[in-house]
Amino acid sequence: MIKKRSKISAEFNTASMSDINFLLLIFFLVSTMFAVEKGLPMALPGQQSKSVKLKRDNVLTIQAFANGSIVIRGTGPVGVQDLRQIIENKLIANPKLVVVIETHPDAEYSVMIDILDELRLANAERISLRTMKSS
Amino acid sequence: MADIIFLLLIFFMVTTIFKMEEGLPISLPRAETGSELEREKLMNIWADRFNRVSINDKLVSVELIDAVVSKRFEENRGLIVAFNVDRRTKYDLVSRIMDQLKEANAVNVTFVSVGEKE
Repeated sequence: MIKKRSKISAEFNTASMSDINFLLLIFFLVSTMFAVEKGLPMALPGQQSKSVKLKRDNVLTIQAFANGSIVIRGTGPVGVQDLRQIIENKLIANPKLVVVIETHPDAEYSVMIDILDELRLANAERISLRTMKSS
Repeated sequence: MADIIFLLLIFFMVTTIFKMEEGLPISLPRAETGSELEREKLMNIWADRFNRVSINDKLVSVELIDAVVSKRFEENRGLIVAFNVDRRTKYDLVSRIMDQLKEANAVNVTFVSVGEKE
C-alpha cells in the first residue's frame, strides 16, 4: 500500500511572532512613561511663621486676572513669554527681589502655574503666592 | 521567548490602564521647570474644575482638609503635599486648599505638572 502524504504543511511560521510582540511591548513601555509628572516645589508659610516686612523696592508684584491677562504692578500688562526676560533683568538689578504672584480668585490655575514656571526659569528663588481680594 | 514577551506585554497593558483611575480625572498644567517627585514622601490632593476635592480616593469638602491632613501629618511630619489640580480650576479653590494646609501646618507643597511632551 502506498501512503498518500500531503506535502502542504498545515502550520504557519511563528518565528516572527516574538518580533511583533516585542514591538508592542516596547510601544506600551514607552507610552507608560510618556506622561512624566513633575512637581514645582514651594514652601507655604505655616501657622507660626511671622509676617516679614519688606521694603517696597524689593517687592515685585505680578498680577494674574480672571481673563488670563498678566500685569506687573507699576509697569503694565505683559505676555507670559516676555516674563522670563523681565524677571531676569530685575533680578540682576536687585538680587534681593521678592516676587509676589497675586492671582484673582476667578483666574485659572494654569495661569498661576505658567507664571511660577517662568519665575523658576528666570531662577527667582523668593516667590510668594497671594490671592487677590475680589472687589 | 514569545510567551515571556507576551506576558510582559499584558503586564504593561494592564498597568497603563490602572494609572488613569487614580484620583480624579484631570488634565494637569504644563511646566518646563518641574523637578522629580519623591513618590514615597507625597500626599496627593486632587482637585478638578468642578470644585471637587479628593484625598486618598475619597471626596472631601474643603473645610475638612485641615483635619484629614493633620491626621496624616501626625504619622509622618516629612510629607510633601502634592497638588494635582486641573489646569482650568478657579484659583479660588487652590487658595482655599492652601489656607487649610496652613492651618494644618503642612508647609511643603508641590504643584504637579506635566512636561512639554505628553
